Amino acid sequence: MRSPRLDFAEFYRSAKDDCLLAVLVSVGDRDTAQDLVAEAFARAWASWPAVSRHPAPAAWVVRTALNVGVSRWRRHRREVAVPDLALVADRPAAGEAAGLCVDPRIMAALLRLPARQRQVIALRLVLDMDTECTARVLGIAPGTVQAHLGRAMASLRSELVSTLQEESQS
Amino acid sequence: MIEDELITVLRQQRGKVVMTTPVEQIISRGHAVRNRRRAPGLIAAAVGAAAAAAVAVSVALPASRLAASHPASGSPAASSPATSHPARLPSVRLAAWTVTELADGRIQVTFREATDAARLQRTLRADGIPVSVTFAGKQNPACQPYSSHGGQAYWPFGQSTGPLNGVSFIHNPKDAYTTPYALVIDPSALPAGSGLQITTSGVPGGADNFQLDVGLVKASPQCTGS
Repeated sequence: MRSPRLDFAEFYRSAKDDCLLAVLVSVGDRDTAQDLVAEAFARAWASWPAVSRHPAPAAWVVRTALNVGVSRWRRHRREVAVPDLALVADRPAAGEAAGLCVDPRIMAALLRLPARQRQVIALRLVLDMDTECTARVLGIAPGTVQAHLGRAMASLRSELVSTLQEESQS
Repeated sequence: MIEDELITVLRQQRGKVVMTTPVEQIISRGHAVRNRRRAPGLIAAAVGAAAAAAVAVSVALPASRLAASHPASGSPAASSPATSHPARLPSVRLAAWTVTELADGRIQVTFREATDAARLQRTLRADGIPVSVTFAGKQNPACQPYSSHGGQAYWPFGQSTGPLNGVSFIHNPKDAYTTPYALVIDPSALPAGSGLQITTSGVPGGADNFQLDVGLVKASPQCTGS
């Protein structure tokens, strides 16, 4: 029987980057995303007996990271007047504020999507979760996931088609 | 650009973002989280031990000397520190959960914090629900999945992953973050011979940082109390 520490270390090694990208797509800031994901993995370790039996532990981490982000926003909004997190997350941010290594055009296009569409993209395409699982994680209906994904893909297609086609021709 | 190309482009971004935090740092932080969860229990144990010691001292010392050296120890307030201190805690904290019987006989449980699992278990069992309640990632080892309905429903997923007769979740899909965790249980709709297992993973006491897992288990005295 393997030790929980080894199991967790292997899970962390295999899932950390995808979880970070998924959260980064949602929150739009690399440092914030890394902080949230680190906290979420720490909580996963603290509850490892339960999390390890979860059908989608990486989704648990992403969900927890996003919840931690919301909790922090709730605390900080009482201290300093800041815009709503959703508005902050929905801002048309440029690539410089986002993931440093992700293609800035793609990141900018992603960050122009509504928050829920970004979460669907993150779970469906980054974590490779199916529609049912994505729906359960986000607490929405599978049909709603499909609708968000369709709208997100349409928006991304219209934003990225010209630049990426030019790139491929050159 | 066709759909597959776009998906490929997006997936190519995987691997371009690297999580640099070492696993040792994560585990170290995880230990701190775990210790923080245990702190309330340790404090309660310490208060209980202090109370027991106070009683032992009051029994061992002669009454005259006791009155002289511990003038306050004979007062009712000082003689029951174990009961007076915990009793004050709820008055300064929000209720962790609420159990309400609805007009149709179903039981609604609203969670705000994942604390006091034992009392919630007693309350629900008193309402006729065969249930095991454990928080903070612990599970009753006596509980076995119910044969044909072993799937669990995960909050904040909000909806059962499979047949979970007798349990429904209340949530607002448009505002899942701020909706209190709530579920409605219809004891009469639970399959014969089954009970519920309610567990949480995440941080106890943190309203936003725990996930509620509900599943059907085989009813047994060791697991669900009946």
